[in-house]
Amino acid sequence: MEEYAREPCPWRIVDDCGGAFTMGTIGGGIFQAIKGFRNSPVGVNHRLRGSLTAIKTRAPQLGGSFAVWGGLFSMIDCSMVQVRGKEDPWNSITSGALTGAILAARNGPVAMVGSAAVGGILLALIEGAGILLTRFASAQFPNGPQFAEDPSQLPATQLPSSPFGDYRQYQ
Amino acid sequence: MICTFLRALQCTEKLHRSSGKRLFLPHLVLNKACLKTEPGLRWGLQERKKTVRPPCIVGVSQKTIWTQGQSPQRAKEDSSKQVSVHSSRRGEPVISTSQKVKEAGRDFTYLIVVLIGVSITGGLFYTIFKELFSSSSPNKIYGKALEKCRSHPEVLSVFGEPVKGYGEATRRGRRQHVSFIEYVKDGLKHMRVKFYIQGSEPGKQGTVHLEVKENPESGEYEFQYIFVELEPYPRRTIIIEDNRS
Repeated sequence: MEEYAREPCPWRIVDDCGGAFTMGTIGGGIFQAIKGFRNSPVGVNHRLRGSLTAIKTRAPQLGGSFAVWGGLFSMIDCSMVQVRGKEDPWNSITSGALTGAILAARNGPVAMVGSAAVGGILLALIEGAGILLTRFASAQFPNGPQFAEDPSQLPATQLPSSPFGDYRQYQ
Repeated sequence: MICTFLRALQCTEKLHRSSGKRLFLPHLVLNKACLKTEPGLRWGLQERKKTVRPPCIVGVSQKTIWTQGQSPQRAKEDSSKQVSVHSSRRGEPVISTSQKVKEAGRDFTYLIVVLIGVSITGGLFYTIFKELFSSSSPNKIYGKALEKCRSHPEVLSVFGEPVKGYGEATRRGRRQHVSFIEYVKDGLKHMRVKFYIQGSEPGKQGTVHLEVKENPESGEYEFQYIFVELEPYPRRTIIIEDNRS
């Protein structure tokens, strides 16, 4: 259970946006460093300066676009949670699709549909990976007590001895 | 008139001289006297008739085209075409065995990489489809149970109208996955699921426990019990369904 009583949702948007920006900037920085290094004239000084220029120009752009994607995705996700009233993997997939659609809105409806499909599939894959990871991680723990008895909170028809709370495996 | 006659004489002389040889005599040398507009091409043409005889190539026929003005180029083209046909007919350069083995190895590696990627993607898709669409996935069961909770009057009176449900919180604050355990008892599969609900009443949170048992005939999961446990003290339990028999 959560230690803090507050809802994660509105604050999660800022979280996700910042996380995505960091990912984009660092990844873009590395990539542009290598690219700038290779596309510069011979000589270490030239190359270092070239890669520095490339990082300064391109890495914030990539970080910005990642941040837009992450922030929009998180916003739509939180809105869906609010509307539907339950938290589901479906929310993620739909949010991914809608984010892709919105970000391709300038290119017309056909491009929006394609981008939505790409976003939805990407998020579905990420969700699937998350499910697999948690299942494998929890399968490593030893099996919980064999639940043959009914929980104690129900009106007792059997002997209630095992506390019901000890879940080890969860998704 | 005399000019053409002279030229004809010289032409026959040349033809006699150059028969059998492969020579391209400059056709304008003997024609200096005559400044007519007779095309020197004619000269060249007549000479070429005798001299352009490349050695016979097996399978290649030689074509001589007798048209005005175009034929030297065409003869050149023909010869060049003949040359190119000749070279391509020799066959492609032989690929040595080691190169073939290397290429095959490379192709094989790429094929393996592609297969690995496709299988991983397929596995992920299968997982997500099973989770979302199969009726025996904990997600579906959680959905059904949440609907039952939402329509229960006692739950609504305690928690308030829009009841939200969620599962365990992951690192990033997402609470999409519910906690569950599967076990087999008496040859039938059971599953216990636990999730949390919260209503509009501030501070009131409940834990919902449920168990489903697999129906052997239909393969569907049926609810054995569903109950809601309220968090803060005193622990109050709302039983929504109890089908244990």
